[in-house]
Amino acid sequence: MKDLKHLYYLENLLQDANNNLVREAQAGGRLAVGSVCSLIPEVLLSLPGCFPVRLRAPNTGSIDLGTYYMTSMSCECCRALLERAVEGGYKFLDCIIAPDACAQMNRCVENIDLLKLCDKEKFFISYSDVPMKSDETALRHYVKQMRIRVLEQLSGVYGVDVSDAALRAAVLGHNEACRLITAIGEYRKEDNPRITGYEFAVLCTATYCCPKDLLVDKLRETLDELGSRQPDSGKNFRARVVVAGSEIDNPDLIRLIEGSGALVVADRFCFGSLPGRQEIVLNDGEDVLLQICRQYLAWGKCARFMDTAKIEERQSYIDELAKSYHADGIIFEQQKFCDYWGYERALGSRVMRDDYGYPVLSVDLPYAVGTNAQLRTRVQAFVESIEIKNIQGKVTR
Amino acid sequence: MSTAMGSERLGNFYTGGKTRTRREWRGLKDTWYDYTRWLFIWKTMIKFATNPNNVRGMFRYRWMANYLVAPDFVDRHTEGLRGPQLRIAHQEFDLIVEHMCDTISTLFKADPLIGNDERLSKSIVVFDENMMSHIMNGFPNLRMICIEIPPIYTSSTMCQDGVLHYIDVSQSYGIPGDVCPMPSAELGVAIEDDYPHIGACMVQCNTTCDGSLMANGLEARRFKIPTFQLAVPIRHTQDSVQEYAADEVKNAVRFIEEQTGERFDWDNYFKCMDIFNQETKQMLEWLDLSRSPYPQVIGNNVALYRDATYQVAGGRDARFLEADEEITRLAVEGYKAKALCAPEVRHRAILWGVQAQYYTAFPLWLQNCWGILPLIDMLSLTSTRIFSIDDRDQAMLDMAHLYQNMTMRNRSNGGYEVGVNDLWRFCESFKADMVIMYEHIGCKAMAGYHGIFEEQARERGIKMVWVTHGLMDPRAASRKDMRNDVSRYMHTVLGEEALDASLEDFDDSNAW
Repeated sequence: MKDLKHLYYLENLLQDANNNLVREAQAGGRLAVGSVCSLIPEVLLSLPGCFPVRLRAPNTGSIDLGTYYMTSMSCECCRALLERAVEGGYKFLDCIIAPDACAQMNRCVENIDLLKLCDKEKFFISYSDVPMKSDETALRHYVKQMRIRVLEQLSGVYGVDVSDAALRAAVLGHNEACRLITAIGEYRKEDNPRITGYEFAVLCTATYCCPKDLLVDKLRETLDELGSRQPDSGKNFRARVVVAGSEIDNPDLIRLIEGSGALVVADRFCFGSLPGRQEIVLNDGEDVLLQICRQYLAWGKCARFMDTAKIEERQSYIDELAKSYHADGIIFEQQKFCDYWGYERALGSRVMRDDYGYPVLSVDLPYAVGTNAQLRTRVQAFVESIEIKNIQGKVTR
Repeated sequence: MSTAMGSERLGNFYTGGKTRTRREWRGLKDTWYDYTRWLFIWKTMIKFATNPNNVRGMFRYRWMANYLVAPDFVDRHTEGLRGPQLRIAHQEFDLIVEHMCDTISTLFKADPLIGNDERLSKSIVVFDENMMSHIMNGFPNLRMICIEIPPIYTSSTMCQDGVLHYIDVSQSYGIPGDVCPMPSAELGVAIEDDYPHIGACMVQCNTTCDGSLMANGLEARRFKIPTFQLAVPIRHTQDSVQEYAADEVKNAVRFIEEQTGERFDWDNYFKCMDIFNQETKQMLEWLDLSRSPYPQVIGNNVALYRDATYQVAGGRDARFLEADEEITRLAVEGYKAKALCAPEVRHRAILWGVQAQYYTAFPLWLQNCWGILPLIDMLSLTSTRIFSIDDRDQAMLDMAHLYQNMTMRNRSNGGYEVGVNDLWRFCESFKADMVIMYEHIGCKAMAGYHGIFEEQARERGIKMVWVTHGLMDPRAASRKDMRNDVSRYMHTVLGEEALDASLEDFDDSNAW
């Protein structure tokens, strides 16, 4: 297929946390709000005068300093982020709004805090308690925490407008980007998709790391371009897979999987679009923050939601995705040393294989995956196994 | 052989086998006392073994084999002790053995495969390990059993390789090898179907760590009884979370009421909390003594017992208050007599991080080998708040406080204020010059502070001794490895020699 017009531009944006669009927005007087987890609704960080930057550590090399502070048994992603912070890579941030969601990411942020690695005059870090269930009691708590730990902080320190009108405006902007990403993602359902998983990952990841309003023109143009894009006549893949699991902030991983013969048609992981890029629907009657929080709790598929209903919902959601995106198999992944996804991967892999009948590849990943030959071999073997099962007619669902 | 502490070369008793060569000579009075308590443990065990249900349970559940070594478990935790400390230890550990025998007897009586007492089973609310039991103070007609404690938590303290099989089962299932071995082993029991299927319902909690709560989710699939997940706030020091925490406790109470048909009994709740408050006051006495030059209730004599009193007994079992009062009496007596807990006191230490379950007697070794007084450990530094015994609204907030401040959870969750800053506060308060920092390999929550601990200890001039262990898996770091971590530091950094050189290098790799 012909390259997407803006792909190279977007790839370059992903080479640095403090990328061109972030700098442009800050030059315009806006605040860069560091975010480390999807449990803080992005839209609350997109209020007028702010934009969220989901922290990444692109081109990570050594993580020795991160390892010194957090030991070699901690999540590599968290260590890489801390390393990048020690290197000064997040000094541009005006604040970090962090949930105490997983202990390791919390420790990463606490190290940034204690080591004073971001030194703008009014820089602050706010820690919030986010619920592990999605019932009404949890919702009340969530709303309260987001009000106290997010909105009041932004308003108190920087004078950000946190009124309902401002929230509604933020939702409008957020929805615009989500609508475009979702529409682009729909093309992955095609028999011979006109967009690859890698291309989509670049587009989607960029929406987490850049001010969305500065990106929507490129997304809109890309959507238009896709409307007439012709896929190659023959299929460039041997199997279609859903990738499910913990944080993947590096599209190179998706490229590696696709280079091994498996087209990634659905991205059910942190930094992915499923969930993450749904539109927020607001009514006129209820409190806006309440509505936003309710939708985030309902969508939430993080492994830390601990009640049985949510656990089962996560599994049936993958089944729904596999069906609607016509996947042949599922790749369950986790960042190495991630406790949440270590358990979730073990359970999910078993359930999706034994109860739902999907071929499943279960892998743990280093943060800097690049050209990981071991992973490539495993994906290749997985693709072959799917092909063999298809030939033998053994995939029964 | 004399009666004095340190008169025996304790390391010489270990010859590489399961048992030691002989019992320790502690002088006529203490040896006789210790011997009679040893016989008492055997009496408790024999009484337990004469119950046919328990015999059947022994053959049904592989983890039961660990309890055969209960007398050795108590011996390990009294090594080198004399006078009041020896008696305090027996007060505690003998009660723990009794309590455990009661719990397991109840478990087997209710077990459909053994006693099959359906009525009893329906009166049991199953809790997960590490979970505070205080909610049950309002249900006097119901029982609570922390289902994972007999197979895993206590098993691994009884016998160092007691739960390795279950860790392996869990890893074969697909659980990564880097997670904490405790929830991993607990899940292994569920996978092997080695939990008795008892109870009217289950209440699980997001207790100490991410791994623990995740294992609960998987285990719930196996228990197949109505389960309530109690989601307690993580940032437990913030005022803004207390209302939610109390609401969750209310939800849990409602769940138990619905599942069992019982009503929450406020009178009984307040009665039990009154006892719990009295137990807390005893604990505060011990802590006060530990700040003095003559600490009496330290190391092993506070660690496991505090867990049991604070979390499991929760004011419902009057035996614990009786034992507490006796401990205080002995401790005050020891303090007045200026009794030392070690042959020579060289350092006063706070034990931080998580102790190795397979080497819970490690603090005693610190005392006996190096004269390091393990004044208090992180897991015992739980809430010492005195709770309301007449205000229902406050009671919900009190329970919420306790559930947020479960053993370990109060330090592993809540941020660096409780995980790091409090350590230095305790060092000052207990006049400690040393921190024995347990580095549990699978504990990500504490590992995240590694560098911060190093730097801040250096700034404060605190001697920081890292002791690496695998919590329930001695294959990751053996008991000897743990000792070597300390001995190396004592020799190379402090240039000290051991009080008992025989304890520096001995073989207990095959011991229970």
